[in-house]
Amino acid sequence: MKLALPRLGNIDVINETIISDMGHELIETPPNTKKTMDSGVRYSPEYCCLPLKIALGNMIETLDLGAEGLIMAGGWGPCRFGYYAQVQRDVLLDLGYNFKMIILELPRKESLKTLWDNINLLRNGKSWFYMINQYRFSWQQILLMEELEKNSLQVRPREKKRGAASRILSESLIRIKHAKDQKTLEQIKKETMSQFDDMTNFHKKDLIRVAMVGEFYVSLEPFSNHHLEEKLGYLGVEVVRKNSIEAWIAPIMKLHIFKESFKEEEEIEKAAYQYLAHSVGGEGQTTVGNVVLAHREDLDGAIQVVPFTCMPEIVAETILKKVSEDLDFPTLTLTYDEQTGEEGLNTRIEAFIDLLKMRRRKGVKVS
Amino acid sequence: MKKIKIGIPYSLYFYEYYPLWKEFLTRLGAEVILSQPTNKKILDLGIRSALSEICLPVKIFYGHVLSLTDQADCILIPRMVCIEKGAFFCPKMIGLPDMVKSSLSSLCPMVSPIIDVRQSYGSWKNSLFQVGQLITDNSVNISRAFSVSWENFQNNYLTNLLDPNVLRLDNSRKNSQKISKQYDDMPINIAVLGHDYLINDSYINLDLIQKLKKMNVNVLTPEMVHPNTIKKQLKKLYKPIFWSLSRRVVGAAFYYFEKQVEGVIHLTSFECGEDSMVGELIHHQSQQYPAVSFTEFVFDEHTGEAGINTRIEAFLDMIRRKKRYEIGFAPTW
Repeated sequence: MKLALPRLGNIDVINETIISDMGHELIETPPNTKKTMDSGVRYSPEYCCLPLKIALGNMIETLDLGAEGLIMAGGWGPCRFGYYAQVQRDVLLDLGYNFKMIILELPRKESLKTLWDNINLLRNGKSWFYMINQYRFSWQQILLMEELEKNSLQVRPREKKRGAASRILSESLIRIKHAKDQKTLEQIKKETMSQFDDMTNFHKKDLIRVAMVGEFYVSLEPFSNHHLEEKLGYLGVEVVRKNSIEAWIAPIMKLHIFKESFKEEEEIEKAAYQYLAHSVGGEGQTTVGNVVLAHREDLDGAIQVVPFTCMPEIVAETILKKVSEDLDFPTLTLTYDEQTGEEGLNTRIEAFIDLLKMRRRKGVKVS
Repeated sequence: MKKIKIGIPYSLYFYEYYPLWKEFLTRLGAEVILSQPTNKKILDLGIRSALSEICLPVKIFYGHVLSLTDQADCILIPRMVCIEKGAFFCPKMIGLPDMVKSSLSSLCPMVSPIIDVRQSYGSWKNSLFQVGQLITDNSVNISRAFSVSWENFQNNYLTNLLDPNVLRLDNSRKNSQKISKQYDDMPINIAVLGHDYLINDSYINLDLIQKLKKMNVNVLTPEMVHPNTIKKQLKKLYKPIFWSLSRRVVGAAFYYFEKQVEGVIHLTSFECGEDSMVGELIHHQSQQYPAVSFTEFVFDEHTGEAGINTRIEAFLDMIRRKKRYEIGFAPTW
């Protein structure tokens, strides 16, 4: 079967492991472009959030390339994400495409069989042992990808040559994609780290540090946030990204109960409790908690990225105003929709960073 | 002893749960103050104090809360999380108490019990009990008040006996048991679908229901469909909907489609997250019933009526013309 996976940042590193190696034909999702956005926006319900629209654009592009099955994640609310796949399926069927939507989500009683069928379809007659191994390896790929991405965020503001961090990262990601075993991954990690070190100017120490919080997709997919991380990096700001695929999937799949990420989640919840006492779905509570933690970690400020009309993030945004006031901690909310004008965004980011620098100079924040 | 005054905003989920809270609180000897029906002043208050990106109903909720601050001793804002298995309320309603607390600074104390039937502390009984304890120490009284008011609420909810004090339209289930039979008496059956707080708030929806009635339309709403029917209709979906409020809207929509009413109007408010998805599902389903005309009205804080009037007239004209054509009165040139 010809399968495709919509984009989510650099998630395509696992494409080969979970699609090609399982004996399916892989249809690579083309990089996100204006065209992707346009076709997604054109056919999506008007007030849906941005991730749905871009993912729909991805799907249309891959279906045009001949994909027969689309892999998509799901959920059970109250965030709208849980219903994405259904709405996208309806829209695509209306457009006349013939395909199978393979939805991976925690099953409820009635959907147990669907999930079982989907897993069997992905397994494609290979042994269970092989499949589990492949998925375990794909998890390792994701972990390494995120680690490298996080490192690149530290390197970028300090790089000796502009663009070096992004170049090294993208080269390594391609290598991760083609890697077949754990040993190669370790090799890649070692080499990339030393490349990063070569390109880092370690004299730059006291940089402005900003936490990036907010909605999951928009913070991970550079196209949708207009390459915010790179922009900030080139302004000489170290970005601390708070969202990650690891932190999203691990608690759901109970992948490492005994490890730190579970504790981390609890800590975030605790930090948010005073302001938002109940989870509101999506990353609503996490955003609030992360901002409080960022304050405790002595960062200079936080930028919240929000897709237009996102329900949990609007709750968080409302509350962040209060948090920011109480803690005297600057936050900036950037709302993204299908508009692609960048200048307004640049101006706002620059103004925000100037503000942070000024605060430092005046000694409002002692670091 | 002076009675404690508890303010209830006439907005959002209180369209459904006001009777329960009112009876419970008055039985315990508290005075319930209901805010005015939405008006220009309340809307302005809400818009000024809320973030611009929040959906209209929540902005209006803010306005209601603000209008109550100087009248009541405390305001009741329950945190509605979950009232049935496998379904939640909208994120904004889950976070409502926190949102109100963080954006309105001058506010009288807030009572916000959690309603989350998955947890024992969040069951209706325990949550109401907590609130009751603020009014009186007599736990026997609280329990009794709860069981009586809960029973009344359940009975009224299912049989939908109408009380003029209950926040419902007067056109509910009574006068529309069988839709098909009414074709002769009433020229047009139109189902107006949407959340309670849109359909019943004549200020937000610019008096849509009365306007339709004046134009000789039999208005049908989601509340007129029996909960069991809704449950049955929802089985048509590929995946169950996980929002309690939208379940009724979708179930009712599917039911009215199946019954082939002449027209279906879906009311949504600008920035409503649930409706953006649910609207697509309803729209998708409507394509299977070409005999049913379907349209969607989006409401926001603009209050110009002319636009909506034109749309209603055009929609009704289209249906009437279609009907005439089907019966054979249309000129056949």
